[in-house]
Amino acid sequence: MANGVHVKFSNVSKRFRTPKGDWYQALKDLDFEIHPGEFVSLVGPTGCGKSTALTLVSGLEFPSLGTVEVEGKVVKDIDTSTGFVFQHDATFPWMNVANNVASGPRFRGLPDIDVEALVKSWIGKVGLTGFEKHFPHQLSGGMRKRVALAQCLINEPRLLLLDEPFSALDVQTRAIMTEELMQLWEQTGSTVMFVTHDLEEAIALSDRVLVLTAGPASVKANFKIDLPRPRKARDIRFQPEFIKIYQEIWEVLREEVDVAYQRQLIASK
Amino acid sequence: MSIEQTTGNPDFASEAQLKRKALFRTLRIKALQISLAAALLISWQVLTDHKIMDPFFFGKPSGVWTQLWTWIHNGTAAGSLWYNAYVTLMESTYGFLIGVILGVIFGILLGRNRVLAEVFAPYIKIANSIPRVVLGSIFTVIWGLGSTSKIALAFVLVFFPVFFNAFTGTHEADKKLIANARLLGASKRQVTRKVVLPSALSWIMASMHVSFGFAIIGAIVGEFLGSNHGLGLLIATAQATFNPNGVYAAMLIIGIMALSAEWLITQLENRLLNWRPNQNSGAEL
Ligand SMILES: Nc1ncnc2c1ncn2[C@@H]1O[C@H](COP(=O)(O)OP(=O)(O)OP(=O)(O)O)[C@@H](O)[C@H]1O
Ligand SMILES: [Mg+2]
Repeated sequence: MANGVHVKFSNVSKRFRTPKGDWYQALKDLDFEIHPGEFVSLVGPTGCGKSTALTLVSGLEFPSLGTVEVEGKVVKDIDTSTGFVFQHDATFPWMNVANNVASGPRFRGLPDIDVEALVKSWIGKVGLTGFEKHFPHQLSGGMRKRVALAQCLINEPRLLLLDEPFSALDVQTRAIMTEELMQLWEQTGSTVMFVTHDLEEAIALSDRVLVLTAGPASVKANFKIDLPRPRKARDIRFQPEFIKIYQEIWEVLREEVDVAYQRQLIASK
Repeated sequence: MSIEQTTGNPDFASEAQLKRKALFRTLRIKALQISLAAALLISWQVLTDHKIMDPFFFGKPSGVWTQLWTWIHNGTAAGSLWYNAYVTLMESTYGFLIGVILGVIFGILLGRNRVLAEVFAPYIKIANSIPRVVLGSIFTVIWGLGSTSKIALAFVLVFFPVFFNAFTGTHEADKKLIANARLLGASKRQVTRKVVLPSALSWIMASMHVSFGFAIIGAIVGEFLGSNHGLGLLIATAQATFNPNGVYAAMLIIGIMALSAEWLITQLENRLLNWRPNQNSGAEL
């Protein structure tokens, strides 16, 4: 991998047409690098452009200015070695849980016997054993999210884009899934870009936390999380180092959250 | 002690109670439907018997029944009743199947290919603006009195609604789902088959419900315009001999055909779209 860089944003700006017909700038001079095997969280106020940044990495959208590179190559198309769990779940409503989870390996032409075993193990890992025959509309929001996770992770992507994957889960399941994800990540060594509003979760999981500015997003601050691994997500949040770094990041993040909130107040007047 | 599951819990309606409730509901609706039909038939009979409505124009239920009886036992001028019904059914079915298959293929092809869609758009608009029944005359001239001209007319009538619905359904397919499939490793063709087709299916099924009716219209009008067999011919003959009962009797058979086809299509729909949430439960919104 070119100079040990997996994902590279070089002065990326992205603008969208608004319904009124003018432009809205979602990203401005976004510039950062992510190294192979690194777990990086993106945090920032709502609407700042986190999901937009991930879509640029996936190849579903392209920058208006600047370049996004993955493994040294400018992103020009969808790359199936990248996995993406969307913020809003995108499970196929006409497939039951088992078929949803199996869809990636099947698209890739894996033999049926292998697919079956893989699917079984992944449904177990996300705690949906017994729900194989259920259709998405028969599941709870959190269960659908877990289907989406299994559907993505089963392909063992080298680069994993997770957009608030745990946001629809209850606290307990969330804790379990966080630990699962951490274990999986430690086993597979894939690179992860993780978007979340939960700063504790971000710190517990990440090697690095990028704080983005209120829209248009650029990198406001970059925190290295030097807590030792393997970590136990459940206990780590009571350690003094954890609390210290949490306060540090929160101070920076809060400024941006305030900016975003003030803008909203003005806009609603 | 085991955890109390839904069955056996006194607070929930038992399976038998639920079934009985559903049965009562169906029975009530059926009873209402049958009374409505009976009321209509009886008033039709009474009104024509007393010459309030002229049976010369309106026929009468008993007359329709006699006509059917005669057709069944003595056959029609154009051969046995069953053979005529078979011809019409065969023509409609072929026209329907070819129309649906080509409509779906072209709809999805153009729906998935923007350039193709833009190139074809004006031609499709023009073709769609032609009153298509008129084509029946041309088809009769080209293919003569046989079944081909009727199948062709049924086909043209079926093709467009199916095509437009398949096209719209393809367009309406959730972009998020397509993106997800592509990221999961689907090729463009796999996306078409495994994502676009299933999501367009509710649109396609909706068009199939109306278009079997169109197929029958195509076949009947074709037979009207010139044929040796078919229910359309029976209607044309009855009309020429001022026999309204013959017209109604043929209509009755056509109606039975259309309803059976509708039933089959509904079965197919329920099978193909079994993943959708049940539309008949919960509150009426
Ligand atoms: N397709 C689009 N067209 C127009 N504007 C868009 C589009 N996609 C995103 N935006 C705008 O870009 C901004 C950033 O959106 P984005 O979804 O990236 O935010 P986010 O940081 O993920 O927010 P959240 O935390 O609430 O998910 C928003 O103001 C949004 O309105
Ligand atoms: Mg988002």
